[in-house]
Amino acid sequence: MTPPSPSQALGGSLLAAAAVAAALVPSFAGDYVVGNLGFRMLEYAALAQAWNLLAGYGGLVALGSGAFIGIGMYGTAKLTLGAGFPLIPALLVGGALAALFALIVSPALFRLRGLYFVIATLVLAEALQIWMFNWNGLGGSDGLFMTNAAPSPSERYYLALAIVAATTLLLAIILRTRLGISLRAIRDNEDAAAQMGLWTFRTKLWAFMIMAFVMGVIGGLQADYLGKIEPGGAFSLQWTVDIVTIAIIGGMGTLWGPLVGSLFVIWLGERLANHPETHVAITGAILILVIRFAPYGIWGLLIRLKDEASGRRRRSRLA
Amino acid sequence: MSAAAPAASPGALLEAVGLSKHFGGVLAVDSVDLELRAGETLGVIGPNGAGKSTLIGLLSGALKPTAGDVFVDGRRVTGLPPHRLARLGVARTYQIPQPFARMSVLDNLMLGRLYGAREGFLKARRECLEIIDRTGLAEFADVPAGSLGLLRLKRLELARAVALRPRILLLDEIGAGLVESELLELIELITVLRREVESVLIVEHVIDLIRACSDRVLVLDWGKKLIEGDPDEVLRDEKVTAVYLGTGTRQDLRRKAAGAAKRDAQPLVSVRGVAARYGTFKALHDVTFDVYPGEIVTLLGANGAGKTTTARVLSGMIPASAGEVRFRDERIDGRKPHEIVRLGIAHCMEGRRIFTDLSAEENLLLGGRTAPSAEERRRRLADVNELFPILHEKRNDSGGSLSGGQQQMLAIGRALMADPTFVIFDEISLGLAPIAVDALYEAIAALHERGVSMLLIEQNVERGLALADRAYVLEKGVVALSGAPAEIRSDPRLRALYVGEAKGDT
Repeated sequence: MTPPSPSQALGGSLLAAAAVAAALVPSFAGDYVVGNLGFRMLEYAALAQAWNLLAGYGGLVALGSGAFIGIGMYGTAKLTLGAGFPLIPALLVGGALAALFALIVSPALFRLRGLYFVIATLVLAEALQIWMFNWNGLGGSDGLFMTNAAPSPSERYYLALAIVAATTLLLAIILRTRLGISLRAIRDNEDAAAQMGLWTFRTKLWAFMIMAFVMGVIGGLQADYLGKIEPGGAFSLQWTVDIVTIAIIGGMGTLWGPLVGSLFVIWLGERLANHPETHVAITGAILILVIRFAPYGIWGLLIRLKDEASGRRRRSRLA
Repeated sequence: MSAAAPAASPGALLEAVGLSKHFGGVLAVDSVDLELRAGETLGVIGPNGAGKSTLIGLLSGALKPTAGDVFVDGRRVTGLPPHRLARLGVARTYQIPQPFARMSVLDNLMLGRLYGAREGFLKARRECLEIIDRTGLAEFADVPAGSLGLLRLKRLELARAVALRPRILLLDEIGAGLVESELLELIELITVLRREVESVLIVEHVIDLIRACSDRVLVLDWGKKLIEGDPDEVLRDEKVTAVYLGTGTRQDLRRKAAGAAKRDAQPLVSVRGVAARYGTFKALHDVTFDVYPGEIVTLLGANGAGKTTTARVLSGMIPASAGEVRFRDERIDGRKPHEIVRLGIAHCMEGRRIFTDLSAEENLLLGGRTAPSAEERRRRLADVNELFPILHEKRNDSGGSLSGGQQQMLAIGRALMADPTFVIFDEISLGLAPIAVDALYEAIAALHERGVSMLLIEQNVERGLALADRAYVLEKGVVALSGAPAEIRSDPRLRALYVGEAKGDT
């Protein structure tokens, strides 16, 4: 079964249209929708898109998102506070630190395959959190306060939009190049891929570092938005849970899935904000239904409906 | 091993010196010396468990040798990771095709051209399309590899290996599971591709393929090199005949009780106008046949003719979309598999499907779940152990550690634990050495003497007909031919349907 996708040209213009539509939102929506709801949707879209590269296309399910987001948060916070970096360079360096961390842990992680890899990434984020709680170098369990001026709602909205657009564009390019082919080959059969001359370690490392970079950048943006960071939130497992939920509900292994998923899941959370238990229960039920009946998520369902509709049209025209 | 470092001999493109591989306590390959000269095709044959696939794994870098060395073009490559060996020009195929299932056929090849052959993207794409064309996969270039049938997957294995632009091609059982006409197609393909690589090593059970393709033959037995030389001489050698082909119990296999079937009685199994489909693909159109009590009926046909689908309909794994199946005059189509097993129909599935992590005995006991009492289960276990003493001997070994032939015995034994009156055997000889198949067929003959009726599904015509009371030949989902074995064997249509037109004079 191949992932559903509209034709390339259609896909490209649809993505461009979506980007333009998203860019127009601040011109009519209020501060809350732009600076909070929309901002969160974009943040999660970028995070889920980055995770999608490794899990959806490379078949490597990493549950340690908190580690990279947390490193981006602390990196950006420290750079803007202490070193007086402007925000955008600080975000990029924060992302680079997360990618560097990915590089350092990769020799150990990539020795492991399948479930062992999954568990190791999970443990990694948890261990980092515990360490940050107990090490006073970066504020310990109190964390850090950001004293610099926070960007306006529309500023951070556009920053997040730029990151989503850049990540999605990067994925679209990667998927058409050799890195995309090698990632999918590793997902389908890592041993056979090695026998074809592919140094699988390097391919996995590239994807892993790209994911870590994007997560680090988003972490930095989030730190700037919050104004205060502490290990409990920064390295939280909740990041991973939300990212995985969004990617699966939206559609793993598709370019649109994480975008659609983030829109839907965050919107649902907003509607049910006053009923947290109901929210969790409904999200869980949707997750189960999607996994059982829609392997490519909401996006896959939309494509299937569209195909069936056009198939019906074609048939009725023939008849 | 001697203290002096082993050196490569000149003229050998690929060389192994004292190559050994242990798996736990098992010595799979035992100090094998091997030389693949530039320009030659070397055939490697040997019974199941002789270490042939392990040898391919060692030569391609997928496995690290316990001792010994491998040289490519005089350069020591022992212990290099597989991708490095691939880039040095060593390509392999897998016995069981390992495609990148969710990728297109084109992308399957692209990987090799991009990384193994270090080619630029656009040029690689063009060249891969050429290879796809030459290997007869042109119309499937954009199709996900996972949707291809076995013959095309084998072609893809070859195409993918060639995409690496290798100097050395290691082919692992490329002929396994194919019927004769398909084999001829494959031999042709190998002959065409042969020109693109310097040397080829073929591991194979199918002697015709070895004879057609190789310059020299090497025989492995229990991980050791038994003999090596000119193909005709080697294949004539008595040692080889004894080890590889078995000592010819084929004649004894002809059943003593032939004709004992009660044809005048009511059929035990009656299949009437059955059709079945996978999604939109109609695998069976109209299949009608009977099995009478005490009979062995053989179902023959090329790959994709619908043999396995018929078996699946009988055991309730897939529904019939038309027609009916009766067992002891009772409609059983539409029933669930576990209900059908309880009626006394066992299905020994293609590909063994044993539980690899469970012990041999646990595998058997699971098959005896339908037994009414623990005592009855023990009786059945004793029966199976009598039929296959080796399973008793290996009762505590994990299913995955058994040899191919033993695994097939285990699969049969597991089916028998349900104490069936009717058993479906689907391709039990697949991928096994003749001697192992002889042992299985002896067991089947013994089983038949106990009064069990059966449906044998075989791709090997002679094997299938040797035991049969009657045979049916399927073609594209319909019964094309039926009758007694002698009639079928001499029917000219059989060759046309099954063996293929390509083979002229034999």
